[in-house]
Amino acid sequence: MHMTMNPFQKIAVAIAFSPRCEAMIAEAKLLQQTLGSALYFIHIGNQTIQEEQYLKHLLHRFNLDNNNVHVVWREGDPVESIKEFCITESIDLLVAGALEKESLLKYVLGGVSRQLSRKVKCSMLMLTEPNIHPKSFKHLVVEGTDHPKTENTITVAMELAKGFQAQTIDLIQESDLSKLALIRSDEFKENEAGEKKIELLREEDEKLEEILRCVDCGELQIQTERIEGKPGYVISKFAREKNADLLILNSPDKPMNLLDRVFPHDIEYALADLPCNLLIVHPKGKE
Amino acid sequence: MRILSHNENISLILSIGLLLIAARLFGEFFRKFKMPLVVGELIAGVVLGPSLLGTFYPKFSSLVFTSNLNASLALNGITNISIVMLLFVAGMELNLSLIRQQGKAAFSTSTFGLVVPLLMGYFSAYYFYEWYGRNSADKLVFALFMGTSMAISALPVIARTLIDLNLFRTKIGSIIITAAMFNDLIGWILFSMIMGMLKGSANHSVVLTLLYTISYAILMLTIGRFLINKSLPWAEKNFSWPGGFLSLSLGLAFLGAAFTEYIGLHAIFGAFIMGIAIGDSVHVTEKTKDIVNQFVTNIFAPLFFVSIGFKVNFIDHFDLSITLVVLLVAIVGKISGAFLGARLGGLSNKESLAIGFGMNARGAMEIILATLALQANLIGEELFVAIVIMAVLTSIMAGPMMNWLVKTKSNLDNNL
Repeated sequence: MHMTMNPFQKIAVAIAFSPRCEAMIAEAKLLQQTLGSALYFIHIGNQTIQEEQYLKHLLHRFNLDNNNVHVVWREGDPVESIKEFCITESIDLLVAGALEKESLLKYVLGGVSRQLSRKVKCSMLMLTEPNIHPKSFKHLVVEGTDHPKTENTITVAMELAKGFQAQTIDLIQESDLSKLALIRSDEFKENEAGEKKIELLREEDEKLEEILRCVDCGELQIQTERIEGKPGYVISKFAREKNADLLILNSPDKPMNLLDRVFPHDIEYALADLPCNLLIVHPKGKE
Repeated sequence: MRILSHNENISLILSIGLLLIAARLFGEFFRKFKMPLVVGELIAGVVLGPSLLGTFYPKFSSLVFTSNLNASLALNGITNISIVMLLFVAGMELNLSLIRQQGKAAFSTSTFGLVVPLLMGYFSAYYFYEWYGRNSADKLVFALFMGTSMAISALPVIARTLIDLNLFRTKIGSIIITAAMFNDLIGWILFSMIMGMLKGSANHSVVLTLLYTISYAILMLTIGRFLINKSLPWAEKNFSWPGGFLSLSLGLAFLGAAFTEYIGLHAIFGAFIMGIAIGDSVHVTEKTKDIVNQFVTNIFAPLFFVSIGFKVNFIDHFDLSITLVVLLVAIVGKISGAFLGARLGGLSNKESLAIGFGMNARGAMEIILATLALQANLIGEELFVAIVIMAVLTSIMAGPMMNWLVKTKSNLDNNL
């Protein structure tokens, strides 16, 4: 079931020896099976014999004791160490478990997974409910906003959809009308404001159609939908309402900091309350 | 409670009716020449007020428009409320996330587009105080006001111009909108501080004014915004909607305005920050915002802008030299600042100049600022007239100048 064009050749999986550890390894196995990638399990903390043996045992159980699987032990700050590892090893995708919702304080200060999602320079997959019997992603919700990164995100999403044999792909165009709202009707004649808005949105539609023409979608059935509202928030809400398996978003343009949580960056609406598994796609070779 | 007499009531209602109709007629007439509605509304006031009709037909003018003292006082109250509502709507239009997420080019454009005209306005007013006519004796506050008034932009006028030129979705359009939003945010915060400083001599120190302004803004934009966002779904579920939103949002705007006025800042600041806090909620759709906007911009805004013509005689108080100085400082300051910022942000000379002319439009916001300064005796009538003329001219010239600089969208796109 390997894909024709694997967007993630090297996958790093952040593991902690928690009750979720086994499930994370099972999820990693599924990813490797589907994508045919090299796996790097990274643990930040002391390397004890007990933990080493436990990990070996798990990898053996899931048939992951092969040449394409590596185990990395590091010490230090988890976020900085993993971030550095991803850069030095040119990791394409970092996978980590994440709680759907963190307490307000923890969210503001930043748990490890969320901090990683804001800092790493590669794509990141956050799994909300890793399972020892992982299910493939059958329903994908993909960002189709008018943005230079969207084409790459859609390409990656289509490759994943083909690999996981996804049944439903919702491509969501989020219309942030806050700028369009500036052209309110007091400066226009009857219907003129509405017509102008439709005209501007049509340009977005055409761009998306062009992307879909260029991307190899194979036999995939793609539904496009336009939703008005705050970018990031509306697509998360949609993914939650539709019980999607995976939400795929563009990576932020700039490194995010505390202010992006106080005055939410689009992606923070999803991170504040993960509607499902979240994949943040970072274009390769871009800082 | 004192009530208006029968005749006063008739006078007030008649004035409002005539002002609204005149504003619409003049506004629509000038719109035919691609000018913002506000230009026509202002000219309606000039034509019907003491400048023209009052000069040639004083009896008719005073009979129809606010001849009665109490009725005119009531009308003045309505126009004051209009300013609060206009600032609330202006706040709702600001998009904090957009400002936060602005790229390098938008950041440098907004910073230089703000700082350069602000410094030019400040220094010219401080060191060449007499160039601006008879104004407040408090040189520092006056100079700060001139700096702020030079820094502000007119978002709706700019947006309209960008759409007409098919530039709204281009990089240039995006930079202009983001930079203008940032300028407005900082501009109104500065203006509130200045108004607080003006009252400061009577109430509290300058430091306390700054502390109040910053504290109110931070609290409302963090905790206040969070609470509003959390409460709106409950309100939507339990109240009729969007009617409930109209009354709740305007109610909160007035409460915010009353609070800031109480602590010694200006009422508009409370309404403006409340507008940002409410407008930023994920639960407020653009359709809902539009209802508030329609209500304010089609009823209260025209009343306010026409009433300006009744407050000042534009013919008597027109001073060519003051007007030229204001025009020069405003245009050179804004265009050079935005140009420099855009160039540093990596845009070409032509694109940067186009951005400069786009951001140069001052429009309605400048007129509100000047009106408040006039009411507070911070500026004289000559300078007020000069600022209004500057606001109108910069709004009118934005479109043709941008068009001249950036002929077609495709030319632009090639450079993006």
